[in-house]
Amino acid sequence: MSTYHWLLTFHITAAFFFVGGSVAAAVLNALAIRAERPSETAVLLRLVRRTLPVIFLGVGGTIVFGIALWRCQRYSIGAGWIWGSLVLWAIANALGGIGGRHQERARELAERLAAEGDASTPELKAILTDRKGNAVSWAAGLATLGILVLMVWKP
Amino acid sequence: MIAAAFSRPFWPLFLHVLGAMTLFGAVLAALILALAGQRRTTFLALLTAVPAWVVMRAGAQWIYTKEGKWPTNPTWISIGFDVADMGLIVLLLALGAAFWWRRGGSAHAARATAALSGIYIALLALAWLAMSGKWG
Repeated sequence: MSTYHWLLTFHITAAFFFVGGSVAAAVLNALAIRAERPSETAVLLRLVRRTLPVIFLGVGGTIVFGIALWRCQRYSIGAGWIWGSLVLWAIANALGGIGGRHQERARELAERLAAEGDASTPELKAILTDRKGNAVSWAAGLATLGILVLMVWKP
Repeated sequence: MIAAAFSRPFWPLFLHVLGAMTLFGAVLAALILALAGQRRTTFLALLTAVPAWVVMRAGAQWIYTKEGKWPTNPTWISIGFDVADMGLIVLLLALGAAFWWRRGGSAHAARATAALSGIYIALLALAWLAMSGKWG
């Protein structure tokens, strides 16, 4: 295999980790919102942490191998689709971090309620279905989708 | 932008890649849940993998119909199709084991669900490595 194909393989593998890990975290979060008891919600939100090493590997790998591909393929320094992807990459990571902190607050409350009789409260429901908190996670997902559009399209 | 995108083979490849990445994520979530002993939610996570498989496979067929002009398929295309089509059996077996586990709570079903999900993730990794490296 050529250097280009090796770099592309690592870049695409990292992209699978980034997007797939984010999808796994989203699935676990969606299941946590639907859970009936706070103990179930707490377990599911704790499991979101297991996706983080996969996401971090993907985040790091996409940027490192992406920049290596940029140099290898001698794409123009002014290639708009690459700069657009870099901006969306930064936005996705920033929003993902904010969304993660929102999930952590929900997990802490769910764990406290689970230890105090395992009955759900309006406060837990409110934090789990909070529009602002969930909108941030959705926006992170849309930014990630935007990167994928630019990477496939290469306008 | 949309018109320009339609003028190039954007949609088939985009849908294929998006479906494959979502499929990987859904099965990864199922594996994490299975290893944590979450029998009800493991089944639901694996269920979300099924529409992702459909999008991935439809995208693959769309690209192949438009661009697959080889007299015999290169290795990377063959691996892609084999993993997509035979992998579906593994995915459905994992789904069946998860359903069995959900209904009966058998430890064998739990182990089978985790093992089949792990095998399916390994197959998906093989496919994306072969396709991105254009093996053969």
